[in-house]
Amino acid sequence: MSSAAAQFLRDAAEKSADLAHREIIRRGMESYDTAHLKGRARIKDWEAAREKCQQIKRQAINHLDRYLVQFEQQVIARGGHVFWAEDSEQACSYVKNLATQRGVKTVVKSKSMVTEEIHLGPVLEKAGIKVWETDFGEFIVQLRGEAPYHIVTPCMHLKRDQIANLFREKLDKNIESDDPAYLMTVARRILRQAFFSAEMGISGANFLVADAGVVAINTNEGNGRLCTSIPRIHVVVTGIEKVLPRLEDLAVFWPVLATSGTGQGITTYSTLIGGPRRPGEADGPEEFHVVLVDNGRSRLLANPEQREVLHCIRCGACLNICPVFRHIGGHTYGTTYPGPIGSVLTPHLAGLAEFKHLSYASSLCGACSSVCPVKINLHHHLLQNRRDATEAGATKSSERFVFSMWRRAMLHPRIYAFGGWSMRKGLRLLYGLGLAGSALDPMQVWNRHRSPVPLPSKSFRARWRNGFNTNGKAN
Amino acid sequence: MARQTESSSRDSILGRIRAGLRVVPHSAPPEESERPIFEDINNPLERFQGECVANLMECTLTADLAASARQLATVLQSLPSGSIFVQDDPALRRLIDIAAPGRAIRWSSEGAPEESSQATVTRAEALIVQTGSILVTGSCGGRGASIVAPCHIVLATMDQLVPDLTTALRRVSQQQLLNSNSFACVISGSSRTADIEKILVQGAHGPRRLVVILQSGPA
Amino acid sequence: MSRTVSLFVPCFIDQLLPEIAVDTVTVLRRIGYEVDFPEDQTCCGQPAFNTGYWNEARPCAEHFIRVFRNAEVIVCPSGSCTTMVRKFYPELLANSPLLKEAKAIAARTFEFSEFLVKVAERTDVGAYFPHTVTYHASCHGLRELGLRDEPRQLLAKVDSLRLIEIARFDECCGFGGTFAAKFADISAAMGNSKAENIAATAAEFVTAIDPSCLLHVQGILGKRKATARAIHLAGILAQEKP
Repeated sequence: MSSAAAQFLRDAAEKSADLAHREIIRRGMESYDTAHLKGRARIKDWEAAREKCQQIKRQAINHLDRYLVQFEQQVIARGGHVFWAEDSEQACSYVKNLATQRGVKTVVKSKSMVTEEIHLGPVLEKAGIKVWETDFGEFIVQLRGEAPYHIVTPCMHLKRDQIANLFREKLDKNIESDDPAYLMTVARRILRQAFFSAEMGISGANFLVADAGVVAINTNEGNGRLCTSIPRIHVVVTGIEKVLPRLEDLAVFWPVLATSGTGQGITTYSTLIGGPRRPGEADGPEEFHVVLVDNGRSRLLANPEQREVLHCIRCGACLNICPVFRHIGGHTYGTTYPGPIGSVLTPHLAGLAEFKHLSYASSLCGACSSVCPVKINLHHHLLQNRRDATEAGATKSSERFVFSMWRRAMLHPRIYAFGGWSMRKGLRLLYGLGLAGSALDPMQVWNRHRSPVPLPSKSFRARWRNGFNTNGKAN
Repeated sequence: MARQTESSSRDSILGRIRAGLRVVPHSAPPEESERPIFEDINNPLERFQGECVANLMECTLTADLAASARQLATVLQSLPSGSIFVQDDPALRRLIDIAAPGRAIRWSSEGAPEESSQATVTRAEALIVQTGSILVTGSCGGRGASIVAPCHIVLATMDQLVPDLTTALRRVSQQQLLNSNSFACVISGSSRTADIEKILVQGAHGPRRLVVILQSGPA
Repeated sequence: MSRTVSLFVPCFIDQLLPEIAVDTVTVLRRIGYEVDFPEDQTCCGQPAFNTGYWNEARPCAEHFIRVFRNAEVIVCPSGSCTTMVRKFYPELLANSPLLKEAKAIAARTFEFSEFLVKVAERTDVGAYFPHTVTYHASCHGLRELGLRDEPRQLLAKVDSLRLIEIARFDECCGFGGTFAAKFADISAAMGNSKAENIAATAAEFVTAIDPSCLLHVQGILGKRKATARAIHLAGILAQEKP
């Protein structure tokens, strides 16, 4: 078992038994559920919207080279810079070198999961640069030294009094209330200074629009706007898969992203940026850089079953509906992207051997696929990852043995019937001795949390053979 | 910077993308559907006003410039004293002359808004009925004009209403607004967050108030 | 239309919950069907398939096809095993010489409630069940087979039955096959959430169309010493007025 898998099992056991944690998540998710359903009801034909998004993303990804180049050319023509990063290391070095060369002391960041993925923050901090996360939720988890708990709502695992205490400890001992509006005011005051002193703003991108050559950034708080308006350098760090062919595509993606993410009709600030400040504009950065991060994504293109995983728009809907997420929470996954999309994506980005356990940590209930706004068949991809792990010989030899025996039995009805009979007989004997749940019980794991399964003396086939087949009425 | 790496990583990523795309996906392409996705818009003005309410923004109808000026003056009086930032635009100069004579004004032609600005006053490129949004670009006083101050006031006219996002984005493409501006934004309400316990807080990093003065006559 | 159906009894129903198959036969016979049970049937292959052992699942699926190749209509009292045949056989057997037959069998295999409502066109099967019942929509039946209304339509026609809606009726109970063993703690936590929602309805019974979910839910309810009991839809429909 990989160390990540062992850690996952430990954390999952702890979190799934933590009823206070479950209650916080339940409340957060229920308020999301209500807003999400209300949001969906505002769209006349939600299924048509999903189909449209699926079509557009499929077109975008299937011509990814063409659209990326089209995007790049326009950014360069407007005086921007585009850097293609193969991996985290290249992406982080580019941003770090740029910052050091330009004498950057302070960076303000708006929310970007890709910067979490490549661990950009610590790299900049190590180079002596102060990094401020400016999304309110990100600011809070940064103060706690934690990774975001959820890709849309980073601090949904925290209650207001915990946040007030955190502020008291880290920011100001005179924090007088745990009212969310008040706490926001405190953060606003502090971050204002950061926005107006930072030399560099770093943002992610929700979309890269090929025909217009712009990045689209969606935020509600406005921190993304400030990060991209005030500092003299703006760096966008984003994945290569974020392309959309046409500006008009946003007319469906903006409402769909907002509906799936928070239940809003559209995010408050849907921003388009195509380059540095132009002559005649009152403000805006003098430099504009886009870092296009591959980091394993291009490999996924060559996967004929799972290419569509690159359609993901990081809305978080699959996390919110996932019963596993709702019971173990975001941190347990130990990955940048938690929940179903993370379980599908992480083995591809970070290695099947280390993260294959996530493919099994699902009941395959399919709720994720049913809400995905771009219709990624998420739960089926988990199953394909299981198949690939087996075929790569990465599963336990004891399990391989069990399934080879199982196969033999299932191909021979008599062995199957005898096997079933002896299992029932054996367990009845064992349980008769009061050994249910003991170390001798092959159903020990089952019986730890459940009462024993029924063990009828006769199987259905035995009853059928004993005359039930000719009897008009079941007895 | 590091030109060598730049071009070699670009080539190898594009090479991998192209190689990957030669693999044919297993799933068949989804059926093309042209079913209408969004509700039809019957009464644009009513719908726009309704969406504004839902987006926690204020929208006031005015008959002419004088009425708009009165409205602007009312809003400005409700704010703390201090400088305001105004997009340097002929209609707004006329408006300010009536509404706020003697008030300290920073015009967009003088640069970015100050951090301490109490309000910003700008025009918009269009108003979007479907989502209750305003579309602004760099030409509407720059980037900070719609985000830095606690209150953003927009003077717009009825003929600026466009039915939906598609129309608005098409206009951006056709008029090449993103070539003449480095920035555009569809703003749908006041700045907000719900990061703590999903409780909605109005006024996060951006304006707490977004006020649209919608004038029926020409500006 | 044929009046004979072939019964597919998934392995764990055969071995652990034979009553469900008996009840299925009772209902089918009551509405006028002859029932055939091909005795060489074993398992559809789902346990191996869902754990990633597709090479082990494949011969099992081929065995199933050989056993049922002459059946005109196949009825199965499990949403999940029906899903295996209907949705996953064509993918599992994509390179098998039996692919064509697999697709044909997929099209004539029906989950029990689906068969009653869509093929037999019966929602009233003359059942009597004077109890309060809540309905859990199991994942495979609901999301893979799209059976949203069929079980409810049948329950609505049961004499004296009172249906009480459960919160989050479509959320997974936490069984998930080998998931229940590999991630026993998460599975049990999900099962306990389901049990809490069941308890909140105060219904005497929780019903579903998937025996595997019911096995797990009953195990959780039993451990909690809950008053509610799990019962398969066939178990309700098989009851008649005395």
